Amino acid sequence: MIPVQAFLIVSAVLFAMGLFGALRRSNAIMVLMGIELMLNAVNLNLVAFARYLQGALVGGQVFTVFVITVAAAEAAIGLAIVLLLARKRRTIEVPDIHDLKG
Amino acid sequence: MSGAWLAFAALTGMVLYSAYKVVSTPLITHAALYLATALVGVAGFFLMLESEFLAVVQVLVYVGAVMTVIIFAIMLSDVPALVGDREASFVSRLLSKRYGSLPALVSAGVLALVLIAYGSVRWAAAPLKGAPEAVHPLLHDTTALGSTGVIGRALFSTYLVPFEVASLLLLAAMVGAIVLTKRDARDVPRLAPAAERETEAEERGGAKFWP
Repeated sequence: MIPVQAFLIVSAVLFAMGLFGALRRSNAIMVLMGIELMLNAVNLNLVAFARYLQGALVGGQVFTVFVITVAAAEAAIGLAIVLLLARKRRTIEVPDIHDLKG
Repeated sequence: MSGAWLAFAALTGMVLYSAYKVVSTPLITHAALYLATALVGVAGFFLMLESEFLAVVQVLVYVGAVMTVIIFAIMLSDVPALVGDREASFVSRLLSKRYGSLPALVSAGVLALVLIAYGSVRWAAAPLKGAPEAVHPLLHDTTALGSTGVIGRALFSTYLVPFEVASLLLLAAMVGAIVLTKRDARDVPRLAPAAERETEAEERGGAKFWP
């Protein structure tokens, strides 16, 4: 049986890559994709712990269902905002959008 | 090397390579498709961890819905920035501070922190037996149900309130997305009436659509 650490390390690397992607991109959709990668790393962690801590089987998997739900809602709203920006401003580059900057 | 390790290695390679491509490719459509590959790989990990329900949900929701929405958003909009990223190549951009070295430093720091924390833990060799009462008395016979039945029971007993809140969240997100992307009447380019279009088509030498 594969030890739980293997899954945790893969998920940590995946999270770091998602974080890197979300930080280094200036395109709003690319930033969203980085965030999706990070959420998936968290899901992998939750499921791995749920598998290896038998009593917590349900908790980890149910929370993964909730994370997937929130990610779907986030993607829908985020893309709606991006489409609106594209229509009104003709740009979706994050540095170009600084109306709220003090 | 057993079959489980082989599958694990293959899935790891698939997920991490596609994640790397998501992060590095300058083309937004390529990034979206590589993201779909990475998510399928994570679904494979879920299968290895004996949560087949979550694997199916992952493919259905992420690859089936979220990726479709992203690709539709890219394809249906006419803004050039949506289709092709204007950024420079991955390697040359790594040298810039704000979009290269600083994000790399931050994420490497996070990774190092997490790995150090994992290294300092004494791991149990075998899966731990937790207290089954921690969830719900109904859930004692977890082996007979399989993961789908267990999740179903838990969602409608212990986690009923969060479940309903999640459905409310989805409803709010749906309404919000519709309201945000609704076009005003003055934004929509007016279409010429059907008769005019047909005569225009005849003048251009095209066939009439209706006989």
